Amino acid sequence: MRHLITANVNGRERELSVKSNQTLLEVLRDDLRLKGTREGCSVGVCGSCTVLVDGKPVSSCLMLASNAEGREVLTIEGLGAGNLDPVQQAFLDHQAFQCGFCTPGMIMAVKGLLNENPKPDEAEVRDYLSGNICRCGTYVEVMAAVEDLTRRNDNG
Amino acid sequence: MSAVGSDTPRVDGNAKVSGAAQYTADIDLPGMLHAKALRSPHPHAKLVSIDVSKAAALPGVIAVVTRDDLNGLNPYYGAVVEDQPVLAMDRVRCVGDIVAAVAAEEREIAEEAVELIEVEYKPLPAVFDVVEAAQTGAPIIHEKRFETQAAIFREQLNLNAGGNVCSVFRAGDGDVDAGFAEADEVFENTYRMPPVQHGHIEPHVAAAVWESPNRLVVHTPCQNAVGLQEQLARIFNLPESGVRVVVPHVGGGYGGKTHARLEPVTALLARKAGRPVQWVLTREEVFLTGRRYGAFVRMKTGFKRDGSLVAREVEVFYDLGAYALSGPANAKTGSYVASGPYRVPNRRLTTYAVYTNLPPAGPYRGVGVPHVAWAYESEMDRIARHLGMDPVELRLKNLLQEGDVFVTGESLVSVGISDCLRQVASGIGWRGREEQGNGASEGSLRRGKGVAVIMKSTTTPTASAASVRLNGDGSVMLLTSSTEMGQGVRTCLAQIVAERLGFPVERVTVSAPDTDVTPYDKSTSSSRTTFHMGNAALRAAEEVREQLLEAGAQALEVDKADMELGAGGVRVKGVPDRSLTIPQLLRVKYGDSVGSIFGSCNFQVKGGLDPRTGKGKAAAFWFFSACGAEVEVDVETGKVRVVNVATSVDVGKAINPLQCGLQNEGSMLEALGAAFFEEMVFEQGQPVNGTLLEYMLPSMEDHPERFQSLLVETPHPDGPFGAKGVGEAVIPAVVPAIGNAVANALGGINITELPLRPERVVAALAEREAGVTGEQQP
Repeated sequence: MRHLITANVNGRERELSVKSNQTLLEVLRDDLRLKGTREGCSVGVCGSCTVLVDGKPVSSCLMLASNAEGREVLTIEGLGAGNLDPVQQAFLDHQAFQCGFCTPGMIMAVKGLLNENPKPDEAEVRDYLSGNICRCGTYVEVMAAVEDLTRRNDNG
Repeated sequence: MSAVGSDTPRVDGNAKVSGAAQYTADIDLPGMLHAKALRSPHPHAKLVSIDVSKAAALPGVIAVVTRDDLNGLNPYYGAVVEDQPVLAMDRVRCVGDIVAAVAAEEREIAEEAVELIEVEYKPLPAVFDVVEAAQTGAPIIHEKRFETQAAIFREQLNLNAGGNVCSVFRAGDGDVDAGFAEADEVFENTYRMPPVQHGHIEPHVAAAVWESPNRLVVHTPCQNAVGLQEQLARIFNLPESGVRVVVPHVGGGYGGKTHARLEPVTALLARKAGRPVQWVLTREEVFLTGRRYGAFVRMKTGFKRDGSLVAREVEVFYDLGAYALSGPANAKTGSYVASGPYRVPNRRLTTYAVYTNLPPAGPYRGVGVPHVAWAYESEMDRIARHLGMDPVELRLKNLLQEGDVFVTGESLVSVGISDCLRQVASGIGWRGREEQGNGASEGSLRRGKGVAVIMKSTTTPTASAASVRLNGDGSVMLLTSSTEMGQGVRTCLAQIVAERLGFPVERVTVSAPDTDVTPYDKSTSSSRTTFHMGNAALRAAEEVREQLLEAGAQALEVDKADMELGAGGVRVKGVPDRSLTIPQLLRVKYGDSVGSIFGSCNFQVKGGLDPRTGKGKAAAFWFFSACGAEVEVDVETGKVRVVNVATSVDVGKAINPLQCGLQNEGSMLEALGAAFFEEMVFEQGQPVNGTLLEYMLPSMEDHPERFQSLLVETPHPDGPFGAKGVGEAVIPAVVPAIGNAVANALGGINITELPLRPERVVAALAEREAGVTGEQQP
């Protein structure tokens, strides 16, 4: 069975025809061809498919697309509007990635963290990002990138 | 300007942070179908019949393949021995063995079709324990003996040892029995290391399309594009040039994508369907597709009261699972280093690669070394404790030194291991002998520190080829089949080429593997790329450089020795205004300012070991590393907190110190998972924890409070700018360092089975309380 929904995806209102059992991840990747959001585990524990829904990080592999009705979805492609978002730039500055597969999800999770808490301490960062697995093991650099962004928030 | 030795940012950084980097699952070929496999639910069974008629009749199903579709093809393949069928033939050998596969218009249809396939199995006796499997009388997993295509394996491995033993490798020297007789003390213990997952977040995935009946194109995140090309060509009776393997961005490999996994079935489906087919494994399937070998190690050590090692006998059983992949070669890699990076005059080292009815294993960062390192470094701490010696001093007393002759008969160079050990000891604030005494304690918390050292070979003999193209605008293309999978190979190779040409790194683009275009490479594995491909790229760049200098010397009528590269062209040394640009040089060389200048190199390292004697040249280079760890154990709960980890590697020369650090951080974290919680559990061959819900990977919360990646640089005479490999250097040292730290925190209990789960720690303490000392020898 299909549902017609309206959702704002990366700043654009979209009318989408989605199946009852279709996940948000499938709609983003297969229908909207936003391939930067990636599937790693399909059970919501690796964090590669993290997107922001109304500003909060969500594992898009677990969320039914039909639940996106009336909500704002932000993916890695929607960041920065042509330039790099400060979070993306901080990841570059600190070389906070290796293979890059988990990186969009990690960046979206950091975005969500700073939305909720502009000045997280290290324990809060570790706790918040513990749902985003980087098997290449680039956590020190991700923490450095977040610390850098936090410092900027301090100065601002 | 010096490109080599600088923290050059990754050349693929922008694509990765923007999300634009294309991975294989992102590929969408016109008319592409989706694949799904029917897998065996039995660990060992005869395949009586397969009926696919209902599946094939389902609307939207385009192709169903079974063993019948392998008629006229070469159904068996394998990196060392050709023991793995593309699809199950007469029997299945593990849970997850692929029996049939479907290609359909939609994923859901393919999933539904698979459910409609009817298979009749006749279960056979199965064996899961690696030591049991090696015994006479165990159920035989492969009845026929297999061929190997590669002469190198026929010459260098003792294959087909009998029963389920796929191969055996022996190394040794001296008189072991006399050595034990001469020893003041002899320790003997056994260790077990369970299978673990590679854990690459990108699952195995492939997309295949036949452009014509004689032309197959496969997109895959493979660490070994050329090897896969060779295997696919053989399966489908094509010339190698009839198979094109293209490698997009790779979402992590760690060894798990070194060999053909799902590509043969994907290609078979695409052939039958006449359309492109993509197959993305689910995480549950990844768990059935690859893992690190579990192993059982028996280690006997004779030593003198002054701490010198005099004899060592080691036997290791590596669990291959149902198919060998590169297991025999990986078991060989474990054999000659099984006595550790130590001077031991008398030793007998034997490794067995053994089939079991578990899903196939394969190479994983460190291949056969973590298993033996876990054993020999635990033993070193037991010996130190027994003798009342500082474990660091005991190691320093026995460590190999520059120029020592190793058990393989070769002389060792670039042996910075003592410096590595001193660095990590200092990094964790090691205080000496007292670290094995009673550590700091507070309530139920006990602190402990531990160290470990390792050595490992890189696969030898091998070759890597590279081609450098200088364009008319002065930009440079390096063509290479080395796979960038996160380790930074593109950046590192760009630095090497830029350094030799005197150009900025930004002017150098490094290709991804595409076997239509990029030349031969053995594989991106064994930490061999910086050394081997780095050498090939360096020499290819050197050829370009020579041509530029020659053309410049000719045009400016000076001696070639007086020319130098610089300012985007060449110039006379010390005379900046006597210079030529690249287009001017092209005009000199070709009579017109168009075209490009090529350089190429096939870099080869000869060697290898004689399987009868274990002697020869095992490694183009050896890597040496050390790890120090400080932990805090809660003796009531058994939970361990990692306070501080320091790693050190002798990298020869760090081409990119930042990327070296990231490799070590990643190795450390993977090993930390294996130390404390990672373990693939099977019951009667069935996976018990085969999803990422049950099988945890280390998260940011597991990261040690403090981590230091330290480097030693003992230049290797044959390395590019003195560089060696780094990718997997640290991983075997971390688990034993942590194990020794936990042992010291517990006042001297070395737990011999991994992982060090809280219940295992608590049980070990309870055993000591109860006075059960069997596990502790002496």
